Amino acid sequence: MNENLFASFTTPTMMGLPIVILIIMFPSILFPSPNRLINNRLISLQQWLVQLTSKQMLAIHNHKGQTWALMLMSLILFIGSTNLLGLLPHSFTPTTQLSMNLGMAIPLWAGTVITGFRHKTKASLAHFLPQGTPIPLIPMLVIIETISLFIQPVALAVRLTANITAGHLLMHLIGGATLALANISTSVALITFTILILLTILEFAVALIQAYVFTLLVSLYLHDNT
Amino acid sequence: MPQLDTSTWFITIMSMVMTLFIVFQLKISKYLYPLNPEPKPTTTPNQLSPWEKKWTKIYSPLSLPQQ
Repeated sequence: MNENLFASFTTPTMMGLPIVILIIMFPSILFPSPNRLINNRLISLQQWLVQLTSKQMLAIHNHKGQTWALMLMSLILFIGSTNLLGLLPHSFTPTTQLSMNLGMAIPLWAGTVITGFRHKTKASLAHFLPQGTPIPLIPMLVIIETISLFIQPVALAVRLTANITAGHLLMHLIGGATLALANISTSVALITFTILILLTILEFAVALIQAYVFTLLVSLYLHDNT
Repeated sequence: MPQLDTSTWFITIMSMVMTLFIVFQLKISKYLYPLNPEPKPTTTPNQLSPWEKKWTKIYSPLSLPQQ
């Protein structure tokens, strides 16, 4: 049963061809790029959502931080659309792959840290020592702050991977349990209801994207501006 | 756990980088947010004479009290 359970998380290949490339690129088809002044409903809706989100998200940044607007918007659209498409039955979700999440988290986090180092060297080094610490505690606190800094990208990647993977696994398990119980008793109605609620809660995968980009954004803010 | 099989990591990361950093950003960079259209004023504002445009206008001969 273990083998069968994790089988949906292997990167899909079709006769040796890695179609994972096509799967990762698929959500970009759902966002057409228009060339008109007045667009159709779908594109207008997407543009309006992007404008709403970007205004909300870039409000706390200064001029330097707002140059990251395009990057942050494409990040939230990519992760959001990928997670939502993964809720369809029998689909493959690329964000369950630790490789992809590490590939997203590490370069972006490193970019924020290096930006802070280049432009405000003293301020970014000062992050390692909070204000008002007693002198004997300083070496230990610097070590702790360094560890907490370096754990940020790992936490970003593993958080996204674990949440999406766990949600998918739970849906598999509960769906299988429902099918098995259907022949036995009518308490299946209760379990089906649990599946429904779980799916709805999992739709808050979108909230997870919010968490991802928000975390990244807070990190950018702290490193760049403070 | 199949996610820890590193043989597929390279191609996953490469295609993700391609999609995220190039394709999506090209699409979003094409979004236009024009300002709302406003009617253009039909009357032109009052045009100033050349001696009224300079700060030394109080000393220009035409604006001094005439003798």
